[in-house]
Amino acid sequence: MLRVLLWELGKLVRLRSVQLGLAAALLLPILWAFAPGLRQLYKLELVSGWQVPALALITGMDFLFPFLTAMAAAEVLGSEVSLGTLKSVLLRPSPRSRLLFAKLLTVLFYPLMLVTVSLLGSLLISLIASVFDPRSFGLGSFAGGTGLGPGSFGGVGILSPLAAFGEVFRAHVLAAMVLWPMAALALLYCTIFLNTTSAALAAISTILLMRLLVAFPAITPFLLTTYLDLYLRSGTDITLGLSLLLIYTFGFGGLALLIFERKDV
Amino acid sequence: MSPRHILWGVATAPVQTESLSLEAIGLGKRYGRKPVLEGVSFGVAPGEVYALAGPNGSGKTTLIRILTGLAFPTAGTVRMLGQDLYEGGWSARKALGAVVEAPAAFYPHLTGRQNLEMQAYLSDLNDPEVRIREVLTRLELLAVADQRVGTYSLGQRQRLGLAAAILHKPRVLILDEPTSGLDPQGITRVHEILAELAWEGTAVFLSTHHLREVSAYADKVGILGGGRLLEEVKLDAKGERYRLRVDNPSMVASFLKSVPGVENVELRTLDVVFEGSPNVALAAVVREGYQVRFLEPDYFDLYEYYRERVRNA
Repeated sequence: MLRVLLWELGKLVRLRSVQLGLAAALLLPILWAFAPGLRQLYKLELVSGWQVPALALITGMDFLFPFLTAMAAAEVLGSEVSLGTLKSVLLRPSPRSRLLFAKLLTVLFYPLMLVTVSLLGSLLISLIASVFDPRSFGLGSFAGGTGLGPGSFGGVGILSPLAAFGEVFRAHVLAAMVLWPMAALALLYCTIFLNTTSAALAAISTILLMRLLVAFPAITPFLLTTYLDLYLRSGTDITLGLSLLLIYTFGFGGLALLIFERKDV
Repeated sequence: MSPRHILWGVATAPVQTESLSLEAIGLGKRYGRKPVLEGVSFGVAPGEVYALAGPNGSGKTTLIRILTGLAFPTAGTVRMLGQDLYEGGWSARKALGAVVEAPAAFYPHLTGRQNLEMQAYLSDLNDPEVRIREVLTRLELLAVADQRVGTYSLGQRQRLGLAAAILHKPRVLILDEPTSGLDPQGITRVHEILAELAWEGTAVFLSTHHLREVSAYADKVGILGGGRLLEEVKLDAKGERYRLRVDNPSMVASFLKSVPGVENVELRTLDVVFEGSPNVALAAVVREGYQVRFLEPDYFDLYEYYRERVRNA
């Protein structure tokens, strides 16, 4: 299983959508760090390099990262269909479920890659920018917040580098987990349509439609879209939200496994 | 056309199940209301070569996808070495080697050898390096084994497909157009390999348009039309019939019917076709003073027969 998983990860990084997505995740913090209209747009004056990751993450999670995740997850299976390699793999005396499970783990790994690249890009650009402007981009202690912890960008006092990193790291891990159901949903749609574009569009459409269901307050607590900003929250809200996101993820994944087992290829 | 060539004229005829390597039983496939395959039954014994012919859209590819477990039938089942292919799970495919696309699909960023290594791992193959080298040598791909598959020619990819299919020494080999995209030399090599594998005991099932080439070594030919197996032709009688060209064929045909040791005499335009001893027939005809132009074995022309059968279907 480990070898199959490693193959899948190797194939993942070769996908065009993944390469573009990772490049976008790297580019985004660089753009924000030097955006001249930042103050006018967000009424925010950067006081530390630890605030750059939040800018990149919040912007990315609004639409870009969910979109990139859905595209990549759909392409993980869809590219094999279009290349014809899925058939040659399925002809081997190996369970279909093993292959799809490896693909599921791979698509769940992708959001982690995406947010990690975004975080590394943020810290790297802060480090470089701090040489020229240490007051705005320094990575030492500062008075204010990272934007991803208590008090948002205003903060609740002096924040040490370690505490700042803790807040930023926690938010990025949670953001990756928020993207998991979308990845599993795109994979599920791809087992149905066996096509990258159809699956990605179906997954994104489902999320957009689910957002509209906020008009029905009774079901709002159970909607996946209610927890898309989970990485900004704290307390008991996180436990409930995480549980629901995991249920969605493994529900979609399990359904994909069931469908794929008897799917004509 | 001799009746002995026809094994079964009806697609749903019973199949002898004893020791069959591959057995299709009443296979049917529908997409919505549209039937693509209906009541297809046949069997392939160990060491037998079964060629499937049919016009485009007759259901050949669907049948091959079902036989390899890539698609699931809406009726009937497939048994591989006696094991149900669909209920037996993935282990039923242990005996199967297949190429279902032309050209065969591989990961283009990996080398030919790396692709085979991956396939060997998925087939749980012991000592894969030695076996990979063997199949690469057999398919004359050793020189390009460490090049990326993306740089391979169509023919090289097709041969790599066959190499992957025979990698784990399958007892059932299913191939969709195995010679598609190959040059004449490659086509001959593939036919030689398939004949060798059949001789070693592998049951070979292939779809093809190259009927004249496969008739040299195939045992049976199934003719598929409109999703049904129109006919199964047995080719084991080849070489038993002879064609005689003489100056007065109708007289010679009438005469040969009375010659002991000469049977099933037919008049075919300018020729007299018969079964039995060619020496006896020739001696009798010469003795009677007829002018003989030539005498040769009358090979069964599968291609002509196929064209006739599909036209009349």
